[in-house]
Amino acid sequence: MNSFWNGKRRYVALLLFLAGVYVALEVPPVIPFIQLPGENLPAGYNVPFTDIRITNTLVAAVIVWILLLLFLLYVARRRPKDGSEVPPGGFYNMFEALFEGLMGFIGGIAGGAHFRLIFNMFMTIFLIVLLSNWMSLVPGIDTVGFIHPHVKEKYDAEKDEYKLVTTDGYEIYQGFLGISYVNGQCDWISPADEAAADAAALANAESARLAALDELAVKAAYARYQAAHNGHGDDAHEEDAGDDHAEEAVESDEAIAAYDDVLAAREAEKLARRDRGCYTGVAVPPWQEGYEPYDKSKAKDISLHPDPSSEEAKLVPWVVLPFVRVASTDLNMTLTIAIISVVMTQYIGFKALGIGYLTKFFNFGTLFKSPLGGIDVAVGLLELIGDFAKILSFSFRLLGAMFAGAILLFVMSFLVPILPWPFFILEFFVGAIQALVFALLTAIFMNLATISHHHDDEHDHADAH
Amino acid sequence: MDPQSTIVLGKAIGAGLAMIGAAGGGIGIGLSVGGAVQAMGRNPDHTPTIQTNMILGVAFAEAVAIYALVVSLIILFVLN
Repeated sequence: MNSFWNGKRRYVALLLFLAGVYVALEVPPVIPFIQLPGENLPAGYNVPFTDIRITNTLVAAVIVWILLLLFLLYVARRRPKDGSEVPPGGFYNMFEALFEGLMGFIGGIAGGAHFRLIFNMFMTIFLIVLLSNWMSLVPGIDTVGFIHPHVKEKYDAEKDEYKLVTTDGYEIYQGFLGISYVNGQCDWISPADEAAADAAALANAESARLAALDELAVKAAYARYQAAHNGHGDDAHEEDAGDDHAEEAVESDEAIAAYDDVLAAREAEKLARRDRGCYTGVAVPPWQEGYEPYDKSKAKDISLHPDPSSEEAKLVPWVVLPFVRVASTDLNMTLTIAIISVVMTQYIGFKALGIGYLTKFFNFGTLFKSPLGGIDVAVGLLELIGDFAKILSFSFRLLGAMFAGAILLFVMSFLVPILPWPFFILEFFVGAIQALVFALLTAIFMNLATISHHHDDEHDHADAH
Repeated sequence: MDPQSTIVLGKAIGAGLAMIGAAGGGIGIGLSVGGAVQAMGRNPDHTPTIQTNMILGVAFAEAVAIYALVVSLIILFVLN
């Protein structure tokens, strides 16, 4: 394995690059429709025996757990039981270096009596967050998925029923090996919008014709005015009336040309779209007569995607619903880890200081002893609020950084197909730093919780120990 | 102007304005890293301690910028 990947095989990278160029030209990158909450997988992918739908971020989280368990199982197997040296090199050594380095790092911050517990929490959070952050760098994650009709359920209060509303999306086409692709060149246009555009073109053409006729009428009136001015009197007036009727009945060639021009422009627009391989919708959209209202019992059939190659595929806009989406771009995951972190901080505080830990929050001891006792009470209450704020700050920091990173990768890949690799390196570092910050802040807060608040209050210490 | 483009316009302006908050985070990170680098230059022996505290301060300052980012992301992708 090592000998295969030495410097002589660099052409493999070149081949991969050329393959990337080919794929980017054949299947142009598509900017996805970005959604903050984790997407539900299509109906049929429920938690077994329940109606609870699985989100694609949960899939990523499960993959992270399994990977982590496999890694640690491997490391535990390779670890020599008798404490002897293991030959250097290999996957095991990477873990050993990681654990040793971070153990020294945390030992410098929280190397007290509770080091073991704090380090366990630190390392668990660090590895889970690190692995789920780095999943955004794996090809296929966030990009390969179900081709999914992009429809929303909307509740109609007047009729007391749900109906499906189509939103933005793309058309699809069948490509290589019968795989369906989202066609990024073709925004989906609903049949109603298409019909409205046709009607607007007709109206524009009609007004163009009338404008041309008006212009002719003005010219004729001017000619008549000049004729009348030359002094033909009553004769001219009678001719006026006759001319008006004639103009209404007879189309002038210019007016017909103006009418045709507008319609031809609309036809050309449609043809240009079709030349790009886009089709236009033909079926009854949800908001027109003849559409069957949304039936809850049929929900399964509707949200299970129709065959992408069928005619029904033209009825709806399509988007890609990824099989796996990075777990830390979902608030559920970051919020869970944040709550675990804050709750464990309180646990360690109580373990270290006993019931005296509560004086950190409700500090009435100095209220009547010292002139500034009221400030201590206020500070304690602020600490209490601060602990709840920690949950928010932990969860939104990770969510914001990773979600923004995912969008950055989407947009860059959309702008330039092959070249956004510098942004993958950036994401590599951002993922590592965010994981380290999350875990490090946990360790620091835990260490702070184990330190008694009253350095001068000796009997509090005695209670704690 | 039709309602749809009004909504898009409002979202874009709102998201852009929300990101002004990131400036504060940038200033904070710059100040803390600048101070930390100076301290490390004067006192290289204490680099690990200074570095840890710097990362902590940077994380707190960055959090504020990320709140602004989250607000603008919510405006763009969650509001309808």
